Amino acid sequence: MLAGYIEGLSMVFQLGTLLAIAGGTLLGIIMGVLPGLTSAMAIALLLPVTFGMPPVMGIGMLLGALCGAGVSGSIPAILLNIPGTPSSVATTFDGYPMAQRGEAGRALGLAIVASFSGGVASMVILSLLAPPIAEFALRFGAAEYFSLSIFGLVIIASVAGKSLLKGLIAGFIGFFASTIGTDPIAGVDRFTFGQLSLLTGINILPALIGLFAISQILKNAFEYDPAEKLTAGKHKIDLARPRFVETFRNWRALLAGIGSGSVVGPVPGAGGSIASLVAYDQARRFSKNPEKFGSGHSAGIVSVESANNALLGGALIPTLALGIPGEAATAVLLGGLMIQGITPGPMLFADQSGTIYGIFLAYLVANFAMLLIMCLGIKVFVKVLMVPRKQLLAAIVVFCFIGVYAVDGDVFNIYLMLAFGVLGYFLNRYGFGTAPVILGLILGPIAESNLRRGLQTFQGDWTPFFTRPLSATFLLIALLLLAVTLWQNYRAYKKDLEEIKSA
Amino acid sequence: MKKLIVSIAATFAVVAATSAMAEYPDKNIEVIVPFSAGGGNDTFVRALQPLLEEKLDTDIVVRNIAGGGGAVGLSRAVASDPDGYTLAAASNALQTLEAMGNVAFTSEDFDFVAKVLEEPYVVAVGSDSEFETLESMVTAAQNGQSVQVGVSGVGSSAHIAAVAFSDAADVEFNIIPYPGGSETISAAMGGHVDAVVLGGAELRSPLQSGRLKALGMSYEERSDSLPDVPTFKEEGYDLSLTVWRGIAGPKGLPDNVKETWVSAIEEIMAEGSFQETADNLGLDIAPLYGDELDEFITTSAQIMREAAGDLAQ
Repeated sequence: MLAGYIEGLSMVFQLGTLLAIAGGTLLGIIMGVLPGLTSAMAIALLLPVTFGMPPVMGIGMLLGALCGAGVSGSIPAILLNIPGTPSSVATTFDGYPMAQRGEAGRALGLAIVASFSGGVASMVILSLLAPPIAEFALRFGAAEYFSLSIFGLVIIASVAGKSLLKGLIAGFIGFFASTIGTDPIAGVDRFTFGQLSLLTGINILPALIGLFAISQILKNAFEYDPAEKLTAGKHKIDLARPRFVETFRNWRALLAGIGSGSVVGPVPGAGGSIASLVAYDQARRFSKNPEKFGSGHSAGIVSVESANNALLGGALIPTLALGIPGEAATAVLLGGLMIQGITPGPMLFADQSGTIYGIFLAYLVANFAMLLIMCLGIKVFVKVLMVPRKQLLAAIVVFCFIGVYAVDGDVFNIYLMLAFGVLGYFLNRYGFGTAPVILGLILGPIAESNLRRGLQTFQGDWTPFFTRPLSATFLLIALLLLAVTLWQNYRAYKKDLEEIKSA
Repeated sequence: MKKLIVSIAATFAVVAATSAMAEYPDKNIEVIVPFSAGGGNDTFVRALQPLLEEKLDTDIVVRNIAGGGGAVGLSRAVASDPDGYTLAAASNALQTLEAMGNVAFTSEDFDFVAKVLEEPYVVAVGSDSEFETLESMVTAAQNGQSVQVGVSGVGSSAHIAAVAFSDAADVEFNIIPYPGGSETISAAMGGHVDAVVLGGAELRSPLQSGRLKALGMSYEERSDSLPDVPTFKEEGYDLSLTVWRGIAGPKGLPDNVKETWVSAIEEIMAEGSFQETADNLGLDIAPLYGDELDEFITTSAQIMREAAGDLAQ
């Protein structure tokens, strides 16, 4: 193994390879900042460039893009309350309130260090434990996926805001929207109204950008005060530096992030975007002051961002150890590996030892490149907020249109984005919140298709959902978390009642 | 006045004639990939792109127009001008959509320029499966055992191929659609299904690592990439199908466009520089042009339609 690492080192530490990794990282960061453009697109764009390169150099460049896009989604989420990808939804919960206080630089500094720590931790886990973790992920059958999605639904309670009922209603709106498209088992069209673009269901990115970005812009446009003057000095630029000490002081949140990213990441198709929400949920539950979450609390940002980059390493585990990519970005990466003549699988860890260790090290270098580029850029990013709001919002609208069109090159997605924007505006206005809708949209198909797939596999018998150990564990945890939430709600309700009485 | 009109008309006629005679291509060619970046169709076009640009001496713009399992992008391709500047990456998806009755176009609405790559549909089982041969799997299903067969995507070409195989073997399998290839493969590795029907390229890595074993495949004859795997026909099931990828355009492509493309692809194949890429991706180079190609398309569309008949209702 040591010999493998030394051989890997010699492959990575060449000027060309280092430059390729840094270049890939920079492109990933740029793509991640723009709403709608994803790491999968960044990797696909770079793919033809890597054909002529040696394996470690080419794969390193692609890993750089993956890593860069993993962190830069936090920039629009923090500065503008606009998550560019589903996985940065939870970054807005605490990042945006903190930026509103004038501490955007602090929020970005936390996000950068948390992402870096998550990335490095997941690289260590990947290099040491990939084969056993990949084997564990294989034990997920239909029953386990179903129970996992039920466990995920409990998170709605955490992101619902004040009213659990309203959060559930918003979640069900998402659930309903997820039933649009071809039935996942029977193949019948549902609610498509002859619209070809709806055959594969509602695309998650236009929905996301509509619910978060367009709704936000509508709100700003309706509440715009023409007399508003930009208050210079409100934003403290000098806060903008990487926050190592503060990040590590939130070690519980950091561990929650790394843990959930490493657990959810390797499960193929589990909806990697929920890892950050799970992390946020766990960090909040095990925090000494959960009430601070959602109001610009540093632990919130740390948990989400560390999960986001730990997820990437996690998703690489089944990709490299079994040849099974977890989601879109690693699927494109797998194509890159195959073209290089690297066949993923258990043999990769045994045979081409030098190459695989080179890939691990390249991923580590990509994390350092990400840290460096983001630290250099952090002060520039904060200056975005110095742009007057009306110009800034106009520019964001343009980027949303471009980004959503780029998703599939399909104009229909733009209409979809606008429709979800109007929906999001009203949901926010009446206190329902938009995060539960996205959660329903992501988890709905996983829950539905796996319930039906399971029933088909077990030939109509529903008991395996409760008797298979992994599945039962998830359901039990979900039930416990639900009970705790209801109990907390009940106590808060009684406390409110007493305050009203005594007043 | 009349003279003026005549002379203007004449000028236009001359201009039109020269532009028609001008060397094709004289501007960028757009190739629509009806799937997101990174899929099999996308990788195929992007791997060919630099080689084609060199031969055709123009830029090729790859446009991913995804949505509807290829329906959106292919509808766009059919509706574009047949001038050779808008082409599409065509594959079985085109015939699958047609067979499932989801789209307004048929393969008749396309002009097929070339078929480039092929892979077989492979029936594979987990390494510790009770089934050693296709026959044992079919017999088990005949004896009333529920044999679960995972496929990638409801109504996908793999789904239709699985139905076609069960029709050919005259048994009922419990066919379970998964969202995509990777979910299907992990279900087979984890023992959640008894067998899978998938394209050979997707199965390349699990077959090489020995985590899955192939029982049979859908080519007419054995292939170099899977020399030990018997064909369906050898095992006594009358079915031959291939997953193919190629280039097509809207009906009415000018002959010189087709000729230019065919000679460019022929040259690339002759040089062999594409061979290594295809090998690495687990695909077989199987070029086909002209009448032979049209015949191939008609035959495979027929098989797909028959099998999809049960599925689409």
